[in-house]
Amino acid sequence: MTMHRSSDALIAELVGGLEPVRPLRFGEGLGLALAAAGLSAVVVITLFGLRPDWLAGSVNPMHLVATGLYFGLALAATVTVVVMSRPQIGSDHTGWRWAAAMAALLPLAGLIVGLSGGEDMLSAENVRHGAACFAVGGTASLLVFAMLTVWLRRGAPTDPDRAGLVAGVAAGAFGIFAFSLHCPDNDIVHIGVWHSAVVLVMAGLGRAVLPRLIRW
Amino acid sequence: MKADEATLARLMALSQAGDKLAYAALLDACQRWLRGYYSRRIAPSSLDDLVQETLIALHTKRASWDATRPFLPWLAAIARYRWVDHLRRLYRADEHELHEETMGTDDEPAIAARISIERLLGLLPPAQEQAIALVKIEGLSIAEAAQATGQSESLVKVNIHRGLKKLAHMIEKE
Repeated sequence: MTMHRSSDALIAELVGGLEPVRPLRFGEGLGLALAAAGLSAVVVITLFGLRPDWLAGSVNPMHLVATGLYFGLALAATVTVVVMSRPQIGSDHTGWRWAAAMAALLPLAGLIVGLSGGEDMLSAENVRHGAACFAVGGTASLLVFAMLTVWLRRGAPTDPDRAGLVAGVAAGAFGIFAFSLHCPDNDIVHIGVWHSAVVLVMAGLGRAVLPRLIRW
Repeated sequence: MKADEATLARLMALSQAGDKLAYAALLDACQRWLRGYYSRRIAPSSLDDLVQETLIALHTKRASWDATRPFLPWLAAIARYRWVDHLRRLYRADEHELHEETMGTDDEPAIAARISIERLLGLLPPAQEQAIALVKIEGLSIAEAAQATGQSESLVKVNIHRGLKKLAHMIEKE
């Protein structure tokens, strides 16, 4: 951008156009993301139903651990995105990585079990069921993805590439968390491969698409 | 008016509420602070443009400051972001002479040091820092920078490219 006016003229122009603004609050950003995630979960349960074991009152431990890890990752990534929207020298944007490292145990364990020959990962039935989870989980991510995009556009992220990536992780993890409330499959191979794929693909989408939308 | 943290934070809070008088005082103080902040880190011919770009960014992103947090680390993050962006867009500065201005926060040297551009540049490996300083800030040609540093021309280019990319990921680092 090339400027030709004096700074005084620019300041006068900016002062003339001043309107009151509502500062971006951390709690508001986090609350909106959680509301979007909650709404996505309600829609998934309304459309597809809650897992049968929840209804029966006895919950599978594998399901609980996996769903909890995705929720933890989603929460940590969302907090990071909200922090990134409000620039500040000295801010730390790395907290989500620890949650990601913990959640990475799921695909790792899934791949180890799957490749060690316990079952046929690529059977038509497994792929069909996995692809359905992937598609619905991905779709369930979109509301959080859109909400975080709007929030980042209101804010001033100084590292748009990373903000896009982390927003994608948050959206994907919330999306698959929502769908996990329906998906009755407790198999680590299915969860590790297909559920984690939602997080990975949404992270890639966020990294590829968001920077150009949130750059300022 | 003196650009100290408490005064700037108070003016910014009033500005967010729509107080035009406070905003005029704030922008004037920020303009002077930014000139000091960028001094010796940008070619003099680019200083006005960069200060004005940063003031516009401050204006459009003013909702991203929260009154419960300090003002100068916020302003400096915005200033660093615009500075790195400016260097990335800059092919060659045409002046070598540098301004000798002082930082506007002499009374808070600890904060000033933590949020300075020097601190950011200092996070780079020396070869990348030197290549960026010579070509993007002082305005030397690639060939001149290669001669001055003993690096090959292609290495100078690589160091600039990698250094700027790294800077863009470290804007908020102390």
